[in-house]
Amino acid sequence: MNEKILSKLFDVEQAHKIDVYLEKKGYQAVRKAVEKMTPELILEEVKNASLRGRGGAGFPAGVKWGFVPKGVDKPKYLCVNADEGEPGTFKDKYIMSYNPHLLIEGIIITSYCVGIHKAYIYIRGEYENIALRLEEAIAEAEDKGYLGKNILNSGFDLDLFVHRGAGAYVCGEETALLESLEGKRGNPRLKPPFPASIGLFNCPTVINNVETLSNVPSIILNGADWFCQVGLPKDGGTRIFGVSGMVKKPGVYELPIGSSLKEIIFDHAGGMKEGKELKAVIPGGMSAPVLTADEIDIKMDFDSLVEAKSMLGSAAIIVIDTDTSMIDVLRLVTKFYAHESCGQCTPCRIGNNWIRKTVNRIASGEGRKEDLDNIIRLANNILGKTLCPLGDAAAMPIISIVQKFRQELESYMRN
Amino acid sequence: MVKIIIDDKPVEVEEGTTVFNAAKDAGIAIPHFCYHPAFAPEGTCRMCLVEIEGIPKLELACSTIVREGMKVFTQSDRVVEARRGVLEFLLADHPLDCPICDQAGDCKLQDYYEEYGLYDSHFSEVKEKRGKKSKLGPHLIHDQERCVLCRRCVRFLQEVTKTQEMGVFERGVHAEVNIHEGILIDNNYSGNLAEICPVGAITDTDFRFKTRSWFLGKGTSICPHCSRGCNITIEYNAFFHRFPVPQRVYRIKSLYNPNVNGYWICDLGRYGYRYLDDDRLDEIRVNSGNDKLAWQAVAPLLAEKLNRLRYMNRASRIALVLNTWLTNEELFLVKKIFGDDLKTNKIVFADPPQGKADDLLLTEDRSPNRKGAEAIGFDLNPLDLDVLFEKTDILLIFGSYLKDKANPAELKTHLDKIETTILLSSHKSELDALVDVVLPVPTIAEKSGSLTNCEGVVQTFSPALEDHRNSCPEWQFLVDLGKELGSNFKYYSQFTSTQAILKEMGKEIVFFEMNND
Repeated sequence: MNEKILSKLFDVEQAHKIDVYLEKKGYQAVRKAVEKMTPELILEEVKNASLRGRGGAGFPAGVKWGFVPKGVDKPKYLCVNADEGEPGTFKDKYIMSYNPHLLIEGIIITSYCVGIHKAYIYIRGEYENIALRLEEAIAEAEDKGYLGKNILNSGFDLDLFVHRGAGAYVCGEETALLESLEGKRGNPRLKPPFPASIGLFNCPTVINNVETLSNVPSIILNGADWFCQVGLPKDGGTRIFGVSGMVKKPGVYELPIGSSLKEIIFDHAGGMKEGKELKAVIPGGMSAPVLTADEIDIKMDFDSLVEAKSMLGSAAIIVIDTDTSMIDVLRLVTKFYAHESCGQCTPCRIGNNWIRKTVNRIASGEGRKEDLDNIIRLANNILGKTLCPLGDAAAMPIISIVQKFRQELESYMRN
Repeated sequence: MVKIIIDDKPVEVEEGTTVFNAAKDAGIAIPHFCYHPAFAPEGTCRMCLVEIEGIPKLELACSTIVREGMKVFTQSDRVVEARRGVLEFLLADHPLDCPICDQAGDCKLQDYYEEYGLYDSHFSEVKEKRGKKSKLGPHLIHDQERCVLCRRCVRFLQEVTKTQEMGVFERGVHAEVNIHEGILIDNNYSGNLAEICPVGAITDTDFRFKTRSWFLGKGTSICPHCSRGCNITIEYNAFFHRFPVPQRVYRIKSLYNPNVNGYWICDLGRYGYRYLDDDRLDEIRVNSGNDKLAWQAVAPLLAEKLNRLRYMNRASRIALVLNTWLTNEELFLVKKIFGDDLKTNKIVFADPPQGKADDLLLTEDRSPNRKGAEAIGFDLNPLDLDVLFEKTDILLIFGSYLKDKANPAELKTHLDKIETTILLSSHKSELDALVDVVLPVPTIAEKSGSLTNCEGVVQTFSPALEDHRNSCPEWQFLVDLGKELGSNFKYYSQFTSTQAILKEMGKEIVFFEMNND
């Protein structure tokens, strides 16, 4: 079975236009939700569907919605995380470019379920054209009565806005996103309190990834059981795998959760480029610990990858060949995280910069025997000790690269 | 109440307490940089991480709320290792210039390195270069290389003064706190920044390079510069009178008092300490005749003169000039001796002029005990010099503010007509030459007593500094005078200390019964 939930309209001409989308049975999920379902029923359905967060952490979406306190005398907000900053990741841009109404539909159903009347799409600043396309789609949806006041005569109101970020990786972290959306410096907040209780403008807030919300309409139309059948019982649905690197056909591939990494690379993405040999794979965006060529016989779902001491993250698969030097990979990783650290907390601010300098020194041939142990020690002093997940995102790939490719890295040292 | 266990020690604290404060209650200090009790926890320095049973990651002590049965470890191997890691990061780019840093001795980085660090350096990269000795404002110097980015300064200016002169600029390792372009920190509370900076990043221009903090003794007192009565710590060179050091008092810091000033003091009080050493009166000065006068002889001589007027029914020819820098006890004794006993009705006040108040701590009054004088029953109306000087034989002047109330020639004419004029003052002034006898007295920092602040809080204090001059506190002089007058010897004999006086005041004046702490 190769069910397409998110990408089935990717090849349809003008599918981003509401008329085409409606022709392809669009907005039926919204109609079903507001006309035939109660918010409680929707929440139950999404919880049963085991829809896990596609941004990287894999937190069950239904559980997250359930954390929003009931009967609070404050407005509630939905923030759609469209920051898509994880290096290697390019899945949300496809959904938003080719199927924006699917996302809008998901936003409407989620807002209806949680009782939200204002939603924001926080989109990566570089996605200027996509932001414009979203705004067009929102205008179309408003014209047709799917957004705005009294949606489909249900009495439910929802306003949806697009907000462009200014280019910081850390603003993809949900609380930094909120700060940025509020017009402040994008620094992650200290948790608790969690956004579900105190979020945007100090009000209860749901934050979900684009891909996560885009799965909601199909759950409403086809039911939780169907969704789990497509994926796995504890991890329902499909993922859009973004394959990049030295493969014949890099691109996005929507496949059921639990698909084999080996198959994705060698069947769907066409295998390695001519004359190239597989050396390593980063399976879930750059912050996921690296897998060696022997470790790719693995199922791509959250739990299997945790078992393999890596993570599914944003399902961005970066394929590295034997001609690529691991010191260059490490340089790229450390440069990125040192540059993107917000600078708030000590281990991430100073530790990443320190590691970056040591890696550069090794790359320039000035490495010393003790450097690799010191990098692991420093990364361990970052891991689990920072205010937000950026510290872990930096430390995990660094530790895995040094541990798994130690011999190669040592070969760059003259002494 | 919640029962938890910290380092095998059972602790019971109120619900909603943080692990940090629960540990503090139990006498366990948790190292920290960004946490300050005046602000909400930031959780950014990562120094206060502790281990909590059942939680895989280390947790922040500053922001984690205690739960029933929680088991906290503040000294486990993992915790100590994490602290060492944070210190290693903070010291990596630090210039390690303790020998020329004013914060040395008071520095958290230094203290924690001694306690938790003590590792061999693994840092072999080039240190980050940052701005040095830039001017933040009239009182503050900034050294970016020593900064640990705790943001206490930024938060202080955001939340306390609400003036927001500082912010965080850049990001990652280039992140720095700094003033916004084109402005300086020039508010009346700027000195607090140097005090709350846990390291040597913000130092005080006034204190910079003057002395090392470990040479300084500390004494607590009440700030006398306005009627708020902020609690202060005075830091001084204890050997000033024996060794040739340029200053006795080097700085004033705030002392936490939740009922009065919280954690802060204003710059007027902080930097207004030079009066403690400058222009002080050292010796008794006798202007008429060449007689040397000892302190022991003053009270008997004055008592004799006062008694003579009393028995001639001429008590109306006694006049007093007071001020509200006098303590509750001193004003009370004046009231008893001159008001109740001698029935003097010519008692006036000469105080420094009022200033401008701000909406934080500073009040209009530039003296510390106006409320106290009112509570004791004095009339604080402006003084009428003509009434004061007319038909007066004995004039007793406390403090030198009279000099500002009339021009010197006019004062001289008046004072020359009075048979006996006595001045009790801590500082030299033009009045010294116009009176018969000048008696040196200590300042508030050098004596004991109590003051009543603008909100009616009576605060007692002891000498923060020793007075090495030939001085005698006014209260002691007044007790002696009361005894020498003879009419109520037993009553004044009980006053062996200011505490004894305040206790008696509590019996006689309802206000002081209520407020006596």
